[in-house]
Amino acid sequence: MGLSSAAITTSSEALKFCIFDLRRGQHEGEELEKILFFFPADLPFPAQLSVIGLSEGLITFTRIFSPEAACEVIEAELHSHVFFEAEPDIWMVMVVAKSKETEAIWRIEALRSVLKEIHSLFIMFHGSIRVLLDKEPGGGLTRSHLFTFIMDYLNDFLMGNKFVLPNFRDSLKQRGTVQMLTVGREAAIEVQSLVGALDSCMGHTSGYSVILFQDLLVSTTLTPDDTTNLFSYATSRLTPRVLSSGGSSTWSYLRKGNAELASRSANIGSGLDGFRIVRPLQHGKWSKGKDGFLVTDIWGVEVGNLVPTTPTLWLQQTEHKMYLCAYQHKSLTIILLIPVTSMLNGEEGISMLKQQLLENASAKIVKVEEKLAKGWGGENAYHVKGYRYLLVDGDRNISRASPPGKVTTLTKESLLAINKVREDVDLEKSRGNGNNDEKDLEICIRAKNNAWVIARSTRGKELYIVLEKANETLLYASEAIEKFSDRYCNGAFSLD
Amino acid sequence: MTSNASSSSFSDEDEESAGQKPKTGSIDYSPDAIENQLPSIALNTSIDEEKVSVADDHHEPVTEIARGSSREIEPERLISSTGESNLSTETGVWRNSSKVEVDGATSSPCSSGYAGEMGTSSGTASTSGADDIQELRNNSSSVGNDGEVLHSAQWVPGKRHVDEDDTCMSWRERKKHFFVLSHSGKPIFSRYGNEHKLAGFSATLQAIISFVKDGGDRIHLIRAGKHQVVFLVKGPIYLVCISCTEEPYESLRGQLELLYGQMVLILTESVSRYFEKNPKFDMTPLLGGTDAVFSSLFHAFSWNPASFLHAYTCLPLPCATRQAAAAILQDVSDSGVIYSMLMCKYKVVSLVGAQKAPLHPDDMLLLANFVMTSESFSPICLPRYNAMAFLHAYVHYFDDDTYLVLLTSNSDAFFHLKDCRIQIENVLVKSNVLSDIQRSLLEGGMRVENLPLYPSTRYGSLFHNEPSDRSQESLQPGIGGPDGLWHFIYRSMNLDQYVSSKFSSPITTHQHQKRLYRAYQKLYASMHDKETGPHKTQFKRDGNYVLLCWVTTDFELYAAFDPLADKGSAIRICNRVCQWVKDVENEIFLLGGGSTFAW
Repeated sequence: MGLSSAAITTSSEALKFCIFDLRRGQHEGEELEKILFFFPADLPFPAQLSVIGLSEGLITFTRIFSPEAACEVIEAELHSHVFFEAEPDIWMVMVVAKSKETEAIWRIEALRSVLKEIHSLFIMFHGSIRVLLDKEPGGGLTRSHLFTFIMDYLNDFLMGNKFVLPNFRDSLKQRGTVQMLTVGREAAIEVQSLVGALDSCMGHTSGYSVILFQDLLVSTTLTPDDTTNLFSYATSRLTPRVLSSGGSSTWSYLRKGNAELASRSANIGSGLDGFRIVRPLQHGKWSKGKDGFLVTDIWGVEVGNLVPTTPTLWLQQTEHKMYLCAYQHKSLTIILLIPVTSMLNGEEGISMLKQQLLENASAKIVKVEEKLAKGWGGENAYHVKGYRYLLVDGDRNISRASPPGKVTTLTKESLLAINKVREDVDLEKSRGNGNNDEKDLEICIRAKNNAWVIARSTRGKELYIVLEKANETLLYASEAIEKFSDRYCNGAFSLD
Repeated sequence: MTSNASSSSFSDEDEESAGQKPKTGSIDYSPDAIENQLPSIALNTSIDEEKVSVADDHHEPVTEIARGSSREIEPERLISSTGESNLSTETGVWRNSSKVEVDGATSSPCSSGYAGEMGTSSGTASTSGADDIQELRNNSSSVGNDGEVLHSAQWVPGKRHVDEDDTCMSWRERKKHFFVLSHSGKPIFSRYGNEHKLAGFSATLQAIISFVKDGGDRIHLIRAGKHQVVFLVKGPIYLVCISCTEEPYESLRGQLELLYGQMVLILTESVSRYFEKNPKFDMTPLLGGTDAVFSSLFHAFSWNPASFLHAYTCLPLPCATRQAAAAILQDVSDSGVIYSMLMCKYKVVSLVGAQKAPLHPDDMLLLANFVMTSESFSPICLPRYNAMAFLHAYVHYFDDDTYLVLLTSNSDAFFHLKDCRIQIENVLVKSNVLSDIQRSLLEGGMRVENLPLYPSTRYGSLFHNEPSDRSQESLQPGIGGPDGLWHFIYRSMNLDQYVSSKFSSPITTHQHQKRLYRAYQKLYASMHDKETGPHKTQFKRDGNYVLLCWVTTDFELYAAFDPLADKGSAIRICNRVCQWVKDVENEIFLLGGGSTFAW
């Protein structure tokens, strides 16, 4: 098995992905210096430089007319090139092939949200790319970090030997948002009391806590941005669903492929040796210990006693370095973040904290888990009969959607139509000049296949609905939206 | 920047200036810098070789064909109100006003180092201050509005800002650029600025296109903030639009297609053969003197729904009047006239063809645009009819707006066509067709305020005075039609024609009309999406309008309402509009049937 080079070649036609720094390699003959990451790595350098040359040329070209916002996307007959300026002068460009046969029909913003997610997760674990470059101007440090990190990330999209990026079938999903668990009043009080208990466990360290039930957020004391990042990490690497599938064959053969690729990366960087690279996104590296705490050796192992080093990450806003400490009880995952600076005695302090949590909070944890499990309606809990929907609260970075299993019942035509409507709304939003809250928008389309495809946007909230089995009149469709809005959105989309 | 420069001329559009102030950062935005950045791009053309050579003898044969027959008709030539001689007097006025502008303006539109040009940058055109334009337009629109058409009376065709180039801030800020270049990167046409000075920029565009092409792909679109760069490759001719007008990609691409069509109309597609013989062939001289044609086409992109609907519109006329016109056109059509059209501005009064093939609406748009801005007996090519061959168009203006076009394949038919014209004119005068046309121009058309109540047993006509058969809901003046109806466009599918209501309050100013136009354009694009369309119904509400669109196999209806309009009432009103259109269809559409023309 393994990720053979043949397999990589196939996927390279479908996906090219690069990160480059406009401040580097300005002189002739030094162009390779610009490249910080390139996938596929085995693409010959002239071909890599050609992708980067075009991107760079168009960034400069578009600035002639649009100095504030340089090139965002290139649409060609066969490919889309998606641009994202992750940090000043550091650009991420993804080139994806289009194909109707393989359903490679993209929504540009959905692809850009992948780039954004890669970058924010990278920052969370490794800090900003610019800082890394400043630390080691040769670029080897940055390249090896980016390489391992992004390859680990991209493996999530690998099906067989093909990359399956979010396409039109994911139109009723919103990457980069948090999905919340709705809790009853009584449970909410229990959760509140647990948060208090966790707080006191962390004492005066001014740490943060995040609580998840299954793959849903229950409570957080972090800022919205940090919550979003930690949430996407937790739901892809820590929650019970992920851990239970962790031993599956997927990751093991991918890891083999990774090792192969990682070794190749040594040729690009000026030297992989000397840099110990932490791979937070490596698959199958987390497991649940006997005491309920989640352990991993990603961050290394203490010499001598084989105790894994506690993971650390960076908060986006405060740029504080935090210890990450995760505890799991059945469906409940609790994540504590403690400032490294306030843990003077390091690992020892963490052990004490864990001890405290077990002693003081475990009873509450069990109780909360029971309450939430009892109230939870299963994976179709948020299904609304007759509707396929996505509700996004942009201000709070929250979304809720029809369960994926229900969305797949929609016809391809409906999904393509909602995908297109979302693209139109994306464009309108981007042109809104930042005051999106002002943009009140309502679009109801009766598509060729008679489905109603609906978009509503008001005060930072967006609602997308597909109704396939609805009456033909516009008024009927509007009423259906009104009902949904009143019932599930506190009337946010209702026209008084 | 340019926004505080004062001017009394009407430049097209707020398109001319985006009013955006680019920052001059550390990065060099010049085309040279870009080309340096495409090092590995295999700039397969070397730009140095692309020095624009005006003296290129390869163009001569075509010029001969293109202009050869225009000489002999000097005495016959009637110059339209937008024709050349008028233009030159207008230009004089511009010069005067732009002098004021130069004196008064605190900053030159050019931020480049072209210091020598600063004082003279006002050659034939003026930089217009958006605010001034707005004020004047507001005034003019209150005087009287043609309705369906943004008032083009004040708009004068002709190229603007000819002295600018890509180093000028003002040039970079123009809202919508159009470029035509050859596959070797030689500039052929630019909407703004001097083609010769834009040689470097043109080479950059060529480099981008051919770079993507060399990678086995074809570039369609670049998006950057509010800007879109749209590409269209037609054999050896490359067309590019750079715009921040927020029009959909599909619309901009359609406009490039029309731009190409307009060039074919003037030169035929056979011009590409010259590029095969000589890649450095210079096409610019062949298009000499046609600036007004193109600028008028660009103007049409902002107000003429025909440019995205691919349908034409008729001048509303009593049925009998139109029949009289059709009959006389029919009489001459057997004698070697392929098509004869009686037109009033962009609107068709009557149209007769000797051939089975109907005239494509796009060809009509391009032809009308050409005729209204240029000479009166010209070889022209109808791109949709036969892109490789010339026809000969005999054009005669009966008054400022109404003109006759007779198309023939025989270049010697001038005197015959003149006889035909005299014959037609006699009949038109006798049967009062010309005066009916003038009357219709003044008061005809569908006004949303006049939307009848149904059921109505009254025979529907736009040309009877109907004193008080209106419901109370529509009586308040100045707020459009009933239930917040502001405007509509109805397109008949099998007729290839559309009718749009006259603009009424509150859609009275140029800005409002243009905004509505753009909203329709967007609606059209989203209904006719390539992948998923055509959809059946769309209701769209934003801060500006409620828009309703209905697409059926028989017709398409686009209607704009007050943004607070009630959905249910809006639907009812749309039904009434459809009924109304049906009731008066023989006055607003050129209907088939009879012996005249099989539509």
